[in-house]
Amino acid sequence: MHMSTRQNLQGNHACALAAIAAGCRFYGGYPITPSSEIAERMSLELPRVGGVFIQMEDEIASMGAVIGASMGGVKAMTATSGPGFSLKQENLGYAAMTEIPCVIVNVMRGGPSTGLPTRPAQGDIMQTRWGTHGDHPIIVLTPSSVREIYAQTIRAFNLSEVLRTPVILLYDETIGHLVETVDLPDPATIERADRKWATGPREGFRPYADPGDGIPAMARPGDGYRSHTTGLTHAEHGFPTQNPADVDRVMHRLLGKFDQHRDLIDSFEALHTDDAEVLVVAIGIAARAAGRAVRQARAAGMRAGLFRPVTLWPFPEDSFREHAARASTVLVVEMNAGQLSLEIERLCAQPGKVARLTRFTGEPIGPAEILATIQERARHGHA
Amino acid sequence: MDTLSLDTFDIRAYLREDLLPHFMCPGCGHGIALRALLWAVHERGIPKDRLAVVCGIGCSGRVGAYIDANTYHTTHGRPLAFATGLALARPDLEVVVITGDGDCLAIGGNHLIHACRRNLNMTCLMLNNEIYGMTGGQVSPTTGGGRLTSTTPYGNAEPTFDACALAIAAGAGFVGRGMTLQLPALKTLIGEGLAHPGFSFIEAISDCTEIFGRKNDLGSAPEIILRQKSGMRPDTYGNIVDRPFQAKAMRIGVLGRNDRPEYGAAYRAAVAARIAP
Amino acid sequence: MDNRSGNAVQLRFGGSGGQGLQLSAKILAATLLRAGRTIALSQSYEPTSRGGVSRSDIVVGEGAEPVDFPLATELDYLVLLDEVASRSSLPLVRGGGVVLADADRVEPGGGERLVLRRLPFTALARSLGNERVANVVALGALIAVAELCSLATVEAVVREETPRKFLDINLEALAAGHRLVMAPAAEAAVGC
Repeated sequence: MHMSTRQNLQGNHACALAAIAAGCRFYGGYPITPSSEIAERMSLELPRVGGVFIQMEDEIASMGAVIGASMGGVKAMTATSGPGFSLKQENLGYAAMTEIPCVIVNVMRGGPSTGLPTRPAQGDIMQTRWGTHGDHPIIVLTPSSVREIYAQTIRAFNLSEVLRTPVILLYDETIGHLVETVDLPDPATIERADRKWATGPREGFRPYADPGDGIPAMARPGDGYRSHTTGLTHAEHGFPTQNPADVDRVMHRLLGKFDQHRDLIDSFEALHTDDAEVLVVAIGIAARAAGRAVRQARAAGMRAGLFRPVTLWPFPEDSFREHAARASTVLVVEMNAGQLSLEIERLCAQPGKVARLTRFTGEPIGPAEILATIQERARHGHA
Repeated sequence: MDTLSLDTFDIRAYLREDLLPHFMCPGCGHGIALRALLWAVHERGIPKDRLAVVCGIGCSGRVGAYIDANTYHTTHGRPLAFATGLALARPDLEVVVITGDGDCLAIGGNHLIHACRRNLNMTCLMLNNEIYGMTGGQVSPTTGGGRLTSTTPYGNAEPTFDACALAIAAGAGFVGRGMTLQLPALKTLIGEGLAHPGFSFIEAISDCTEIFGRKNDLGSAPEIILRQKSGMRPDTYGNIVDRPFQAKAMRIGVLGRNDRPEYGAAYRAAVAARIAP
Repeated sequence: MDNRSGNAVQLRFGGSGGQGLQLSAKILAATLLRAGRTIALSQSYEPTSRGGVSRSDIVVGEGAEPVDFPLATELDYLVLLDEVASRSSLPLVRGGGVVLADADRVEPGGGERLVLRRLPFTALARSLGNERVANVVALGALIAVAELCSLATVEAVVREETPRKFLDINLEALAAGHRLVMAPAAEAAVGC
């Protein structure tokens, strides 16, 4: 019998422990509330497994160091909050362009600017999707419990490795600082994925050639490939190009490289969606409140359901459309001025179908308010 | 016999020859600095597979691509940050950073002082041509007083940084300055930097004939570098006439050296001391 | 409508920063874990470390079920160590809920809706030799009132989580707080 791993664990600590379990061996960070517990825990845990922790001089440097470590072949991560994420954006785009795996955690607090540093918010839904210049592929995972932070951190590393992309783990301050009783999985049962390493002939090696699945194998320094990595738009040989036909081809592969892998990427939770008249869409702590509100609405005889994207970007739009098809109202509950709403409105072309319950006061939205809104919309739907 | 050839080092063994001709303008000193670096790498016997060259953005940032090694062209001002992650993750690699005066001292200034302070084993080669060349000749932190640039049309009124004094003050393990006119000396200096177990900062006085030279009516490349030479003072002359921020009193040679602990080793030792085996 | 499905008990430790509220909550959460319960513990604090409103909430699941919504919506028990936290916490206590307030630091009140008991947490801690263990005295009182777990289980957790230097006084504080509820007359003679 193995020892019980049941414990009270904080969300940010769960993130750190999961990163170690996923094989992360480098952390570069900069202190920022409400994410600093991740750095603190990593500084303690990494040396125990032969890894390296470094607190860099600023947010930009920490993102650079993480990419540098990953270029060296080591799984690497950083964690920050909205203001720090803004600073990391240029280097994040570099990682997307050069296809360097890395994991960036954004524990959301109120913004803009210094905003509400110790209060929860969900204002980085769009920042994490569009936060760098130019078009770029990105994956954003958004857990809503301590247990899910653990699972999704591991998944973030695996997706990052397999798809050679930066992956962002996005959750609000409430979830990050929440302590919950969790059963951690036996480390032996955890599935870890590693990036494909170049193994073929050195001569004529093309570091950005598509092997068929859209994901080129990476050349590890020291293995003899001596390849070039640049944030300039580069052709398959890895060197810069401005030839429109080459640019078009490589950018199509880059921007479309998730298309073949959506089954691996898409994830969501659906609760009572089969016959839901009012479908609530929410993430993080708002989704926890929505879950209770939906159960209470069901108990009161209302046909309410919850669609909770776990993979926030790319948004699981096909699944969402299926689950939302029968609903008369889609209620988006979010702790910002209406960001996820924009995506949901895009996916629900029907005018008047999408309702918003938003808040940016630094207080979470509770089940009672969501339930009241469901009741209102359900009545409206019957009328 | 080719009397102009001062050395028998064959740079072609270290270049990606299929990328030639290179992008550098006629008269640019960066190619000479590249030769000095690769000659030092050759003399040190560093295998190309183990050499990792990390560059920033600008003319200096483009130099790395010609090296037949593991080369990384990163973001503006950040090569030291990338190199810090790479060197910590892979202490088996020989990490060299090539940067410029704008990349290293302006947008990347914060990373430079902390890299010096941390003293992680790598060699940073800053090519100082006094200008932002690639973007069209704007003023940089090393542009001399009164100089005309695209953004100082009335003459530069800002004082300059003495990059080596800055690196020494911030604690870099090895600091030196050389110039492209004196290739073997520059090569030797870089070689010492590579050999030093810590953070080595080497400033190579390069030149931008095409943009900086034209704007300031400095003449041809030979004229520029000969004028540079007259403003340089070998360090053996000591500090008698040292005048900070005076371009004409710049010291060259090995300017600083200390035996502070190398950061990677210090980190591993601190951890080992606290974690029971 | 019932606003607490899936949650057996909701508690709050409220007061001002630096009073050790978060430690009390952490000890209680560890005790509940040991007793086979599932908890969610959340904290709220102001950007300064000392003096601002601070609170630590525990939502306990039914049996071993995970907590659905992890934040407090209706408090069954409120431990109030400073008046500064009253205004934000008292309205959250359910009808018939219990408030254990520090007699030195919280104004009398509560009205008919609540059971507000003013107990000498700080005074008792002072008599033990350190005012700063008022949080542990209050924890002892809470477990006596709430009957969520045994005093022995809390003691075992305190033994594990407290630095040796402070262990004795913490165990004394816990026991004294417990007696304050179980045998109030005896404790009143000692403490006040």
